[in-house]
Amino acid sequence: MDQKELREWEARCIQEEPPACRAGCPLNVDARAFVLAMADNDFDAARGVLEKSMPLAAVTARLCEAPCEVFCVRANLGGAIAVGGLERLCIRETRPKGKILRLPARPKKVAVFGSGPSSLTVAFDLAKKGYPISVYHLGVKPGGWLRELPDSFLPQSILDEELERLGTLHVTFVSVPALDATLVQAHEADAVYVGQDDTLAPDLAALLGPPDPDTLALERSGWFTGGMEGREHRFISAVSHGREAAVSMDRFLQNASLTSSRVPLRSGRTALFTRTDGVEPVKRIIPADPVGYNREEGRSEASRCLDCQCLECVRHCAYLAEHGAYPKSYARRVFNNSAIVQGIRQANTFINSCSLCGQCEVLCPNDFSMADMCLDARREMVSLKRMPPSAHWFALEEMRSAKDGQAALIRHAPGTNESVALFFPGCQLSGIRPDQTLKLYERLLELEPRTGIWLDCCAAPAHWAGRAEEFAGLLAGMEKLWAGMGRPKLVTACSTCLKVFSEHRPDFGAVSVWTLLAGEAVAPGAARPALALSDPCTSRHDSATRDAVRCLLDKLGQPLSPLAMSGELTECCGFGGLMDNANPALARKVAEARVAQSDADFLTYCAMCRDQLAKTGKPVLHILDLLFPELARPASEPPAGISLRRVNRRQLKDAVLGRHGLDRGARQPWEDVRLAISAPVAALLEERRILEDDVRQVLYAASRSGRVLRHGTDSRVVAAARLGEVTFWVEYREGEGGFEILKAWSHRMRISGGDL
Amino acid sequence: MSLVFMPEDMDWVCEPCGERLTPGKVELNYLGNVFHVELPVCPKCGFVYLYEDLAMGRVLEVEQLLEDK
Ligand code: SF4
Ligand code: SF4
Ligand code: SF4
Ligand SMILES: [Zn+2]
Repeated sequence: MDQKELREWEARCIQEEPPACRAGCPLNVDARAFVLAMADNDFDAARGVLEKSMPLAAVTARLCEAPCEVFCVRANLGGAIAVGGLERLCIRETRPKGKILRLPARPKKVAVFGSGPSSLTVAFDLAKKGYPISVYHLGVKPGGWLRELPDSFLPQSILDEELERLGTLHVTFVSVPALDATLVQAHEADAVYVGQDDTLAPDLAALLGPPDPDTLALERSGWFTGGMEGREHRFISAVSHGREAAVSMDRFLQNASLTSSRVPLRSGRTALFTRTDGVEPVKRIIPADPVGYNREEGRSEASRCLDCQCLECVRHCAYLAEHGAYPKSYARRVFNNSAIVQGIRQANTFINSCSLCGQCEVLCPNDFSMADMCLDARREMVSLKRMPPSAHWFALEEMRSAKDGQAALIRHAPGTNESVALFFPGCQLSGIRPDQTLKLYERLLELEPRTGIWLDCCAAPAHWAGRAEEFAGLLAGMEKLWAGMGRPKLVTACSTCLKVFSEHRPDFGAVSVWTLLAGEAVAPGAARPALALSDPCTSRHDSATRDAVRCLLDKLGQPLSPLAMSGELTECCGFGGLMDNANPALARKVAEARVAQSDADFLTYCAMCRDQLAKTGKPVLHILDLLFPELARPASEPPAGISLRRVNRRQLKDAVLGRHGLDRGARQPWEDVRLAISAPVAALLEERRILEDDVRQVLYAASRSGRVLRHGTDSRVVAAARLGEVTFWVEYREGEGGFEILKAWSHRMRISGGDL
Repeated sequence: MSLVFMPEDMDWVCEPCGERLTPGKVELNYLGNVFHVELPVCPKCGFVYLYEDLAMGRVLEVEQLLEDK
């Protein structure tokens, strides 16, 4: 990912856009954070939020007319949050948070004429930046019309206190008899501000002329003005003018452009999306005492805030939620990961954990696709040789084994020498449900006797792992095999295979076996309670298959129980994108979150989904259990382990060949090594991704070489062998019925000069 | 990783050599990085015992660190 791509990704996610209230505040006060702190009864933190953005917070919070409220997303759901009322409550109940910080002193001087709200804002903002300021005011005390307010709005003592604080920032107040043209013209300051929200002498008012509406600069260089009459909110509009003028004056004093990359006022405009369906209206709290809220009322009012955020994708994806942020910040993580030259790449596992399921893209108002971002990042890692070798190793090995001569097969139907259709069950169905796979093939042969069979893997793991070149190579190899069969249309039983072929080999003309069967007569099945149908994530954009499955279930008389995230919004089982390989703990969480969405037993039409979801202990059926009741497996059956899947694929191939009177040919010499494995040891092997076949190979090699370690006092033996990238160790006892396996472990680290 | 690693139980005999394992210098390598450690080895043929706790603990940690580098 380069800088430009990062910007493009970032721009898509609008989670960091301001909430409507903040966008509607001319001072950019983070009203959401303020209101949430109030709801939390943390009034001090709430005051901190106000002081961060308000000049003279004790004054501003008391007088602001709260223009933000008209934009509040709660407005039509019981009334806007009373941000103004809450600000007054907060400021009444708390004390200033301490000294106002001032940047290092700057040499240039600023003169401010008038002491209404706009002038005091200019003085406050520029004093904080380190400029020495002189404020020229009428009367004994500065404050202009703020001095005329009744104490119930603004106690004069509070105004005095705030101005005293302002004085500590090198602001000098000078009382003058009149604010006139001579006074301003005679002044030597580097920049001048004239506040029209105070009483100006007519000659000064006439001298000013209209300012530039965006920068508030006057024609005379270094002169600025604001606080003009006729704006909707007398107080906050003046403060807003003061702030805009202060921005211009600071730029002017630094010889910078007044306009370039200046952020215009948002006036309530924001791209933040906030879902409100399902939000119940709650009426705005009216204070019992017209003076304002008490603490209790204030908290109730604040707790009506919706905490406006987008997070549409994060709310539904355990992976996105797990990492504590949202796609915009994830894009920066991915970028940083790729930009690192030396050191640890922190986001490798993060990038490899996305299931590439595509749900976020459907949910996002801007179609942000984490799947595309993570897949691109994986491809980059592979091409730069930075992909951790262990990240996808096991799945790639499984893919390769499903494609090798022991398991793969392509043949016309017995007794024919052509195929008009070619059944492609997929490696997972073959590995998990070999009997049902065969039965399904028989059913297809009844419908069309010239249906060949192709046992293979669609190469999705290579694609998901970001191995673009290997994936292309595998598909090219498959094209040759397919062409050799006379280019028949493919009939797939796995949504992933179907997606891979439809997207990358449309010439295969792949269709789903469920679509085919939905067009045929089906005998209704036994009555069953309703099941929650979980669409595989790879069927997300394949409504034809999803509809066909429902039609098939309807013919079977199988009622369905509603499942919220279905169809286009369906969720991954935790296997997709090789999540289960890179982050097995997260894959478990994903599956658990999925099955928790319904009390009904689950039903799927992907063998891998069935087993992943069943790992949680939830009863899960595969659609073949309904189609072929005589071969049905119990919904509570535990998943087929990694070792069994390998054996099943080999046996399926044997069974198909058997129908042709053929044999698989030479077995591997280690296939006959007999093992005795207890349930706990089997679980250990599964967790460590050590196959029984690996154990067999280690024991076979050791029996040939005799190189083992034998324990001095008991009968334990240890043997090891390097198989490909990994060294496997087995601790066992020799017994009558074969080798009793006690433990097995592995490592990728090599022992120099050690030949095992 | 320049350290000594020994299992609690050192009572293992290299079958072909008939020798008990003893601590010995071993070089491990992964992804172009080399480490010198002391592990149980057969004094005669040099067979190295990379025992379970070490493989699934320290060695796994280091492998993962190197993979992310
Ligand atoms: S509901 Fe809360 S966060 Fe949303 S706009 Fe209103 S005050 Fe702001
Ligand atoms: S797992 Fe699915 S929903 Fe979650 S980020 Fe990846 S593609 Fe998006
Ligand atoms: S749905 Fe997710 S990616 Fe899209 S804008 Fe919202 S937070 Fe960002
Ligand atoms: Zn030896």
